[in-house]
Amino acid sequence: MTTVQHAAEGAAHSTASIAPGGNGLHAASGGRRDAGHTRPWGTITAFLLPALIIYVAFTAYPAFRTIWNSFHKVLPRREEAVGLANYTELVGDEIFWRSVRNTITWACTSPLIEVSIALLLALALYARVPGARFFRVAWFTPVLMSYVVVGILWLWIYNFDWGPLNVALRALGLGGWTKAWLGDPHTALPSLIFVTSWMWVGFNMVVLLAALHSLPKEVIEAAELDNCGWGAKLVFVIFPLIRATLLNLIVLSFIGKMKIFDLVWITTKGNPLWATETVSTYVYKRAFEWTTFDLGYPSTIAAVWFVIVLSAVLILTWVFRLREKLEY
Amino acid sequence: MPALKRALLLIVLCFYTAFAAGPFVWAAMMSLRTTTEIHRNHFAPPIPAHWDKFAEAWFNSNYSLYFANSTQIVVSAVVMLTIIGSMAAHCLARYRFRLNRIIYFVLFSTIIFPPQITIISLFQILVQYGLYNSKIGLTLVYVAIQLPLTIYILESFFARIPSDLFDAARIDGYSDWEIFWRVSLPIALPAVSTTVILNFILLWNEFLYAVVLITEEANRTLPLGIQRFIGDTQEDVGMIATGLMIAIIPVVVVYAFFSERLIQGMTAGAVK
Amino acid sequence: MRRKCLSTALAAALLTVTWSGFSSAQQVKELSFWSHWAAEMPKRTFVEQAIKEFEAKNPGIRLKQTWYEKTALYAGLKTALRAGQAPDIFYAEPDQVEYMENGFLLDLSDLNWGAVEPWAKEAWSYKGKPYGLPLEAWTVELYYNKKTMADLGVTIPESLQLPPEAFLDMIKKARAKGITPMALGVGDRPYPGAHVVHEALLKKLGVEDYDKLLKGKVAWSDPRVVDTLKWVRGLIEVGMLPNTFTTLKLAEAHIYFHTNPGALTFLNGSWYTSRAFNPPDKGGQPKDFPLGIMKFPAVPGAVCNECRSIAVGGSYVGNAETKHAKEVLAFLNSFLTFEMGNRWLDVVQVQTGIKSDPAKLTGPQAADYFKMIAQTNAGAKYYFGIPIQVLNGKPKEVFTQVMNNAFPAGTISVDDAIKQMAAAY
Repeated sequence: MTTVQHAAEGAAHSTASIAPGGNGLHAASGGRRDAGHTRPWGTITAFLLPALIIYVAFTAYPAFRTIWNSFHKVLPRREEAVGLANYTELVGDEIFWRSVRNTITWACTSPLIEVSIALLLALALYARVPGARFFRVAWFTPVLMSYVVVGILWLWIYNFDWGPLNVALRALGLGGWTKAWLGDPHTALPSLIFVTSWMWVGFNMVVLLAALHSLPKEVIEAAELDNCGWGAKLVFVIFPLIRATLLNLIVLSFIGKMKIFDLVWITTKGNPLWATETVSTYVYKRAFEWTTFDLGYPSTIAAVWFVIVLSAVLILTWVFRLREKLEY
Repeated sequence: MPALKRALLLIVLCFYTAFAAGPFVWAAMMSLRTTTEIHRNHFAPPIPAHWDKFAEAWFNSNYSLYFANSTQIVVSAVVMLTIIGSMAAHCLARYRFRLNRIIYFVLFSTIIFPPQITIISLFQILVQYGLYNSKIGLTLVYVAIQLPLTIYILESFFARIPSDLFDAARIDGYSDWEIFWRVSLPIALPAVSTTVILNFILLWNEFLYAVVLITEEANRTLPLGIQRFIGDTQEDVGMIATGLMIAIIPVVVVYAFFSERLIQGMTAGAVK
Repeated sequence: MRRKCLSTALAAALLTVTWSGFSSAQQVKELSFWSHWAAEMPKRTFVEQAIKEFEAKNPGIRLKQTWYEKTALYAGLKTALRAGQAPDIFYAEPDQVEYMENGFLLDLSDLNWGAVEPWAKEAWSYKGKPYGLPLEAWTVELYYNKKTMADLGVTIPESLQLPPEAFLDMIKKARAKGITPMALGVGDRPYPGAHVVHEALLKKLGVEDYDKLLKGKVAWSDPRVVDTLKWVRGLIEVGMLPNTFTTLKLAEAHIYFHTNPGALTFLNGSWYTSRAFNPPDKGGQPKDFPLGIMKFPAVPGAVCNECRSIAVGGSYVGNAETKHAKEVLAFLNSFLTFEMGNRWLDVVQVQTGIKSDPAKLTGPQAADYFKMIAQTNAGAKYYFGIPIQVLNGKPKEVFTQVMNNAFPAGTISVDDAIKQMAAAY
């Protein structure tokens, strides 16, 4: 007992001082331990089994079943194998390709907006502005709210007659700029992108601030000693050091936007004229709103989308890793 | 930093704060006013403040039911996630076996999966097993969708615990289960509480799976309940705002108490 | 000894409980019933009264009623039917062919169809058998505010149909005074915007060619179609519709017309009364609102200016998998009497598929209102169904996006609209 207690105290101190470093220590501490000790398969299975059962039953099996569905016409009482018919139909489905374009546009523009604004804000707080703690907490709040809540709030904000946006425009004498923001096919998608940016800038800012604070002081001080201006310090010193975090955030944001459903569903449901139709809303509509009970075609959409998302993420991470390698 | 620059910066930051927090403040104000008052002037402060609207929303509009359902489902899911997730994370972090990294990778990669790949078949599967439209069905699905993230966060934390601790425990004759329960978990408490808070907030706000897998009024969760109100005949802006506030309050409470922990948790892994 | 007494007592108690439970289960059959119209008081009153009367006549049957809003109802039914959790009786509209194609509906051949109008029965026929009880039938009517119309100096002719130039003139006069000429909104429904388009097309083409157009046998690039769309476009460009058209919801459109801010006309189904005749604080029109009804204006070069659409609306259907088929049929049958038809007209003031006679109405408000409806429908030639009831799959989706939403909103040109519709078939 005593050995453990002592060791526990030591561990508590040491773990607290270990900087977030991912799996760096893993090989060192976890690996060697069992050398020479027979694998306790019983224990391992006991620990892993519940997680694996849930995973297989509710994630792996459904994924495979969706792919299987995509080759069938899935009606309530019967299933017919239709081979590649669904896929052929998908190739010619303009609504699907429109929704893919919309979703990818969203996933590409959103991260850039969110991360760049977040970086500016993080730098502002990093520059030791008074009330930094308050700002940090306040800016983080949009992230905590459900997309349902956010959707309703912004439906009201974008309201043509009394929403704060148009009211403010009219008050500033810019009445000609007022629009039905969510009703016009040209402004609907940008308006929604604006909403997600509003939500996630806070999150990105907080992460970047943490990253900035974890930068080794010596490097910054050395740059200051060298009389670097703020601009130079930013580009040549800070940027390279937080590059990994920036890229991580971009990838995270990208993945998040590829999955988006709630916000669109509450605000526009894909209207007007499919301007805000995303792949997730289209899948839902084909599965539960069209005048058919067939689940095969929506499964096809899901399967193809899955491949697209996976490829996109792989490409992104490959590109970023390549650039990292080129740095060093 | 010269004072002028600093002042300007502060002004910009204040504007941004108004922009970020503005919508909620506006909703909070509207939640205390009746719809007629709101339509007269959308931006006036709530004077008089109709606190009874909260009681009305709670008792007359079924918010108490939705709230109870959400609590039941989310709390059960979070408890299950914590136990199952930490067990699996502990195992993957501390025991070395050939399938270890493969299993970890498979679990971790599902974070990228778009929900559509599973949602249609989940619907079919739950119907088949009679779990459709049930709170148990939704709870299990919630555990499944948050499992990868939970295991990811906990695994990296468990892995950092120095092995001397475990060696010491073994010497003292602890069984594997006791090592997990009495050594790993207590030390990893910060990370565990982070995942608890994270899972709570993410599942409390979850909408897509709920909207597909639950249609019966009696089993509706809070996001579904709110959505129903905006679809109704006349947009009762005042009552909807009150409902929004009811939905936001638990999250705000959790956030107020655990903001540091929460921010750490949500940013874990993103910082390299 | 004691133990024996206790156990016998227990056994006796158990037996009584189960026996009474069993017999009471035998006595009362509960039918679950989901319906739309949660916010439409007249229809609710009518149905609830029908339920009460039926339960009084049939003591062994109880109906458990749940009222829904349409979108929530449809979403719930789609999944519940698949999951085998659908109610015994529910609301449906004839355009939901997928219910019949997948065998979800109870065959209603044994009902008293003699009491139903043949075209209403036809709307619900699938492969020769009827599957729905056509309770509500409606036409597209052009409601207007008599006082505002008089203030603008516009006189409605005896025929109740304005010639196209006069209609355009009326729109311009209204706009000049800052009044929205026609309240209409597609924020939460897939059909209101299309009313303008399909009523115009129906008049221009006549019943047969209009039917062919919808079914893809007449091209959308047909010059008559192009002309009609150009004419509609002309109306839109002078500002016929509100600028919140794309986001205005159905209930809000009603209020826009009769209360705030008040519009000159309102193109809506004749079930307008279901919301408008609610008490004013529940979304109804103000007391003594000067309601007038006129016909849709004549279309230039039209073949059939007296043609109009009539559609079967809210109907009740039975679940094919119900365990109480006999009781379901009995309940649905209770609606099929002349008295019920007339009572529907009286209470709800919308047309019905059940044979009835508006001339025999007793209530004063109903009688007046139906006189107006009878006038606008005098000499009408009917086309049965609105486009979204006739179209399916891709054409239906494109029609909803283009003709209901984008084209009336003025966001796409006539050529664009035609191209999209042509590509959909």
